[in-house]
Amino acid sequence: MPALFFNIIKLLFLALLFLFLFQVARSIKAHIGSNPGARSDGFAAEAVLLSGSGDSERIRLRQQGHVFGRSPEADITIDDPYASEFHARLGVQDGKVSVHDLGSTNGTYVNGRRVTGSRTVVRGDTVQIGKTILEVR
Amino acid sequence: MTRRAEAGLIAAAALVAAVGVGIVEFTRGNWLNAQVVVTFAVFAITFGAVQVAVRLWAPGGSSLLLPTAAFLTAIGFIEIYRIDGDLAAVQRWSLLIAGGAAVGVLWVLRTSGVAVLRRYRYVLLAVGVGFLLLPLLPDAWPIHGATVNGSRLWVRIDLPGLDRALSFQPGEIAKVLITIFLASYLAERAEAMSTVHRKIGPFKLPEPRHLFPVFIAAGAAFAVLTYQRDLGASLLLFGLFVAMLYIATGRSFYVISGGFIAIGAGLVAYGAFDHVQRRIEAWLDPFGHFSDAGYQTVQALFAMGSGALTGSGIGLGRPDLIPAATTDFIFAAVAEEMGLAGSFAVLAGFALLVAAGFGIAIRSRDRFRKYLASGLTVVIGLQAFIILAGVLRIMPITGITLPFMSYGGSSLVANMVILALLLKVSDEERV
Repeated sequence: MPALFFNIIKLLFLALLFLFLFQVARSIKAHIGSNPGARSDGFAAEAVLLSGSGDSERIRLRQQGHVFGRSPEADITIDDPYASEFHARLGVQDGKVSVHDLGSTNGTYVNGRRVTGSRTVVRGDTVQIGKTILEVR
Repeated sequence: MTRRAEAGLIAAAALVAAVGVGIVEFTRGNWLNAQVVVTFAVFAITFGAVQVAVRLWAPGGSSLLLPTAAFLTAIGFIEIYRIDGDLAAVQRWSLLIAGGAAVGVLWVLRTSGVAVLRRYRYVLLAVGVGFLLLPLLPDAWPIHGATVNGSRLWVRIDLPGLDRALSFQPGEIAKVLITIFLASYLAERAEAMSTVHRKIGPFKLPEPRHLFPVFIAAGAAFAVLTYQRDLGASLLLFGLFVAMLYIATGRSFYVISGGFIAIGAGLVAYGAFDHVQRRIEAWLDPFGHFSDAGYQTVQALFAMGSGALTGSGIGLGRPDLIPAATTDFIFAAVAEEMGLAGSFAVLAGFALLVAAGFGIAIRSRDRFRKYLASGLTVVIGLQAFIILAGVLRIMPITGITLPFMSYGGSSLVANMVILALLLKVSDEERV
């Protein structure tokens, strides 16, 4: 049955081609997932830190998140007496940015409303930590 | 994707090439032989070397480009090998040289980055236009143009003591140089060109002097069409000019006026040149011109039709019946032996390349890099479109190579250089 044999080889080779493309596609997905600047569905992955002096600092959010706080050991140290040592965490999950309050004394506010536990934020939302305001873009 | 995963995928692409060559040998009654090993080694060395260069000199470069390009090259190589083993042996050398060229580009730009190209833009333009005109050199000179299949786009260098002349297509390199020039020219002028000078109906016209480049574009493309009788290259050049003007200004005026100029030029060319006339007639009614102009198209249609969903199997079809099956019509050979499934794999590969290229352009910070990345991506994407549409009879066939897949050293070198530049731009975006 040489015809059957050649057919099997042919199909196996085509399977090899698509396996390759599948691997590339999977790598792209992983690549996008770990890319700190990646955006999907209009959800933001960048926060702008607006300090009292009028300066702003852009923070590209990464998947594992950033801990904001007054402590020098926080990922992003905020010079704000109203912020707790480890105040809140901003993380990206499935393309969505979420805010977790880490039991801060003065609370974390999204668009002026206090966050209990965690909540999702979208582009344009403001996150207030102590007296410091972050705008999510 | 990590560099490690990238290396794995490059090895997988080399494996695809080797397995394909192995299947071809098997259908001829041979078992594993040296060809399989040599093919694997050449692919692994070429793309592996470029990856090492990326790690050294462009560590932040995108890791999507190399595996995808290796994959397309592998599929094309299998069909070249299947149709003509001697050409495949030459193609392997070309691949090594092309890899060397990509490594060279990455090395030259290692500290200065692509920004240094802006400084030499007029030199690059002069060299690019010079390369375009090089095939017009008279036949008697030691470096001379050559006419192949009615198109004068080859240059031959007769070396003493060598019975075979060294030949290459300078137009392939010219398109890269012209893209670099356009990116740097437009990066400075884009703002002036997108301001509205006067309105005529729905069109917002810029100042007339900013339209100048459009006419130069049309003129250059038409000159190539007239003197070298090369439809594909002139279409590619003109499309590149229009696309870059549109990307830089965001004004649809350029696309619309470019379209009208193209249609007008096409009509003039149809009336004036018999080779254009033949192409268009063969496109509209290939079966009516079966014995002459339509023969190639008809053979390609038969080949793709007989390929059906999964193809005849590598080595079991008759792609050798199509004229120019290793160069312009490589896609028809793939469609015959690997079927619709294999064709889709090729199209997916090009789609991934183009998406990755525009992704790099979008993430780049300054205009020059944005325009450079998008221009280089347009060159690959548009060239693939022009020849694929020709093979599939969506538009008249215009002889041009399918990037990475067709037989041809100049084309491989040019496309690997494009890849190296894209890798360097994507490295710099993360600074």
